Amino acid sequence: MSSLEKVVGVDGDRRDTLSKVTGRERFSGDYKVPGALALAIARSTEAHALIKNIDSSKAQALPWVVRVFTARDVPGENSYGIIPITKDQPMLAEGKVRFKGEAVALVAAETLEAAREAAALIRVDYEPLKASFTPEEALADGADKIHEKGNLCFEHDSLMGDPDKAFAEAAVVVEDTYTTSSIEHSYMEPESGFAVMEDDIVAVTVSTQNPHYDHADLCRLLGLENDKVRVKQATTGGGFGGKLDLSVHSYVALATLLTGRPSRLTYTREESFAASAKRHSFTMKYRTAADAEGNLLAVDAELIADTGAYASYGVAVAMRAAVHAAGPYMVPNSRVYSRAVYTNHVFSGAMRGFGVPQVALAHESQMEKIAAKLGIDPIELRLKNALKPGDKTITGQVLGDSVGIRECLEKIKAVRDGWGAAADDPDCFRGIGVGAMLYGIGNTGVSNPSTAQIRVNEAGGVTLYTGCADIGQGSDHALLAICAETLGLSREDIALVRADTKLTTNAGATSASRQTYISGNAVKDASEKFMAKAIEETAKITGKDIADLCFTGTGVKGAEREVTLTEIAESLKEQGNELIGEGYFDPETVPLDHHTGQGKPYSTYGFAAQLTRVHVDKATAEVKVEKLFAVHDIGKAIYPQGVIGQISGGSAMGVGLALMEEFDHASDKNFDTYLIPTVLDVPDVEASFIEHAEPTGPYGAKGVGEPALIPTAPAIVNAISDAVGVRITSLPANLERVHRALQLMGGK
Amino acid sequence: MFVEFTLNGEKVSAEISGETTALALLRENFDLIGAKEGCGVGECGACTILVDGVAVNGCLYLAGKLDGREVVTVEGVGGEDALDPLQKKFMEHGAVQCGYCTPGMLLSAKALLIRNPKPTLDEVKVAISGNLCRCTGYTPIVKAIMAATEEGK
Ligand code: FES
Ligand code: FES
Repeated sequence: MSSLEKVVGVDGDRRDTLSKVTGRERFSGDYKVPGALALAIARSTEAHALIKNIDSSKAQALPWVVRVFTARDVPGENSYGIIPITKDQPMLAEGKVRFKGEAVALVAAETLEAAREAAALIRVDYEPLKASFTPEEALADGADKIHEKGNLCFEHDSLMGDPDKAFAEAAVVVEDTYTTSSIEHSYMEPESGFAVMEDDIVAVTVSTQNPHYDHADLCRLLGLENDKVRVKQATTGGGFGGKLDLSVHSYVALATLLTGRPSRLTYTREESFAASAKRHSFTMKYRTAADAEGNLLAVDAELIADTGAYASYGVAVAMRAAVHAAGPYMVPNSRVYSRAVYTNHVFSGAMRGFGVPQVALAHESQMEKIAAKLGIDPIELRLKNALKPGDKTITGQVLGDSVGIRECLEKIKAVRDGWGAAADDPDCFRGIGVGAMLYGIGNTGVSNPSTAQIRVNEAGGVTLYTGCADIGQGSDHALLAICAETLGLSREDIALVRADTKLTTNAGATSASRQTYISGNAVKDASEKFMAKAIEETAKITGKDIADLCFTGTGVKGAEREVTLTEIAESLKEQGNELIGEGYFDPETVPLDHHTGQGKPYSTYGFAAQLTRVHVDKATAEVKVEKLFAVHDIGKAIYPQGVIGQISGGSAMGVGLALMEEFDHASDKNFDTYLIPTVLDVPDVEASFIEHAEPTGPYGAKGVGEPALIPTAPAIVNAISDAVGVRITSLPANLERVHRALQLMGGK
Repeated sequence: MFVEFTLNGEKVSAEISGETTALALLRENFDLIGAKEGCGVGECGACTILVDGVAVNGCLYLAGKLDGREVVTVEGVGGEDALDPLQKKFMEHGAVQCGYCTPGMLLSAKALLIRNPKPTLDEVKVAISGNLCRCTGYTPIVKAIMAATEEGK
C-alpha cells in the first residue's frame, strides 16, 4: 500500500514487540533442536600456564558422552579475532592458557548433565607461568610473556602542533591521573546458539551482533570454504559490544561438523562472566593547558588499557580512546600516547563506547578543574571551547556541518538554570554536574562499508535484505523506515530478511553506533536503485518516457496503467537480468598516520551533553542521582522512540559505570556480587535530542547507541565534586571512595 | 514425583525429579519459553512467573512445590488477540528493546496490580526492583506500568 505520509521520524509499531510481550519470541536457547548434542566446556583453572597434558579418558568413558575435543581437533587455523592484525585467540587452548576460564576442552554428550559431568572429569596438567594482572606488571622487566610478540598488544601516538610550547606559555595547567574499572556487559541473555548440518553446510543460529564476521572466523577455524558455513542471527538479548566476539559459535560448529549431529550450547551466567569480553580498565594521565580567558591550549594524555589475555577489540579501543582524548573541544596542540597491554585477565573487548567513556571521565574532569581555577562557570568554559563546523579535531580533521555540541550545551545551561536550588537537606550534600562528548560514527580510520538489497517477493511486494543484526535496539525498525520513506511506502509494506549470511550480504558489525548511518545509507541507496531500475524497465516495456513514469510501491505507473513489480521482474528475468536494487555505503575516512595520528578517522560525529543532580548522604556516603537531563545531537531521529530508548538505557549503564560497577576478576561470578543498576538506582532520565542534519547521513541521521552512555559518568562525578568539594578520579565512585572524599573535606 | 497444577487456566500434570525447577519444567515439558534464565541464582528476575498470583523466581522455585497451585506465565497474561493493558503499554512506551527481561517485568508488574491496582510510582519501582534490564534504563518500563494502571482506573 502506497502512503504519502512520512515514515522517517515516526515511531510506528516495531514488528518484534508483539511476540516479545506475549512470550512467543524465540531466542537461540528457546528453539527445540531435535537430536541435538549437549555441549560443555572444560575451562582453565590457571591464569597463565603451559599445558603439559590433557587427560580426557575418564570423561570419554562416561555413558552418554559422544566425544571430547581439544585443540588438536580444530580442523582449520586455531586462531581468531575481530581485527585482522590481532587474530590471537584460540577456540581451544593450544599449549598454554592465558586466563582463568579459558576453554581447554569441549565435551559433546547426549545430555547436558553428562556433558557437564564429563567436562569436570577432564584432567589438565599445568606448568604455571608468572601471571600479570595489571599492565604495569605485564610490562615490567621479568614478566612472563603472554604472547610470543610480548605483552604490549598495541600502541598509538598522536601529535598536533607544539604542546610543549603551549604548556610553557599557558596561564593555567591542570593535571591528574584517572582510572576506570573493568566492566561486564551484562546483557540479560547469556551467549547461546546451536548448529545443524544443512546438507554439507554447517548452519549456526546464534545470539550475535556480527554475523558476517562470525562467518569469516568460523570458516577460518573450521578450514571450510565460505559457502560451507552459514550464520543466522537469532533474536538477540542485548549485546553492548560483548556479542561481537565469537562465543558459543565455534563450539557448536565444531561439534556438528565433526559428529554430523546438531549440537547446542548456552553459557551459564557464571560461564558468561568468566569467558566473555569486558570493558577495558584504563589509567589515564592528563595534563591540560588553558590561557587566562579559559581557551584550551593543549592536552597531553597518556592512556594505558588492560586488554586482558587476547586482543579482541583492544586495538580499536586504544585507538579510539586516543582520537577522542580531548573531547568535543577545539584544542590546537596535543600529544596522546595510548597503549593496550596484555594481562592474564579474561580478554577485554568492545563495550559501548570503545574507550571513549573512559577518556570522557578524564577530559570532563580536567574541564572542571580549569573552570575552578579560573573562576569560570563550567558550562561557559565548555561553550567557549566547543567545536564548531570547520574546526579542527586533534587528528587534524576539519569538521563538516553537523556539529551540535554548542546547542547541546546551551540547552543544558537553560535546564540547569530551570532546576534552581534544591531544597536544603541537613542529611545530604547536593551538587550539579555536567558531562559533554563527541563520538565518531563508524570504525576508526578504516573502510567499513555496508551493503543491502531490495528485491521483489512472491507476493509482488518488496523485500529488504540486510546483514545488519538487530540486537534489541531497533535497527530493523529504523532501516525499514528509511526503506519505506525512500520507496514511498509504509514500513508494513516491506518484508525483511536480516542477518543471515546465506541470504544477506555484509553490513558490518552492529557496533560503533554505525548501523543507522552506514547501513541506513546502504538501504537508501538500494531503494533508490531499485526504483530507478523498475522505472527504466517500465519505460522499455511501455515505450513511455522515463520522466512520465512514477514508482508507486507496487509497480510503476504511466499514463494508462500500472505495470506491476512482478511484471517488471518477469521482463527483466527473460533478459537474464533481475529487478534488484543493490545498495552500498562506505563512510569517507583517511587512515591515521602511524607517527602523528593525523587523519580523518570518521566521516561524522555525534555530540551530547548531560546534566545531573546528585545527593550524597552525609552519614552513609550513598550517592543518589536525583535528576538526569540528556541532550544528544543525532542528526535526525529516524525512529525517535528508539533514540530516546538508547539515551535512557545508555544513561542507566552510565550510572553503573559511575557509581557501582567494578568487575572483580577473582570473585565476581554472577549478579549476586556484580551489581548493575536496578530501577531503584537510576533516575527518571529526561532524554532529548537535537537534529543537526548530517549532509551525508540517510535523511540527515548519525548515530546514538554509544553516545548515550558517554557523558553520564563524567556528569555524575562532577556533580559529586560539586556536592562535597572533593574530586573522585577513580571509577566507580562507590561507597568507599565517596566515604573517603567525605572524610577528606567534610563537605563544602 | 508427580505434580498436578493449573497452568494458564488449564489443568496439567507432569512426572518430574525432585530437583527440577519450575523454570525448567515450564520450558522443557510445556514449551512455554517466555520465562527465561538470566542468572539461575535468583538475581535477575528473567524467570519470573506467578504462583497463586505472587511473583516468584522460576529458577529457584522447585517444580514439586507447584502441586495444586495456580501458575501463570507470560503466555497466560494475554495472547495476540487479547493483550493485557500492561502488554499494550509496554509496546506503546518503548519498554521493550531486546525483550529478554520483558516477560519477567510484565509478571512482576502483574503481581503488583493484582494486589494493588492503583500503585504509586514508588510502589511500581519496588515491585520491579528484582528484575534487571540492561537495555531500557527502566524509565520507559516504569512509564508503561504507570500508564497501564491509569487505564485500569
Ligand atoms: S534466572 Fe531466575 S532470577 Fe535470574
Ligand atoms: S529490554 Fe533488553 S534487558 Fe530489558
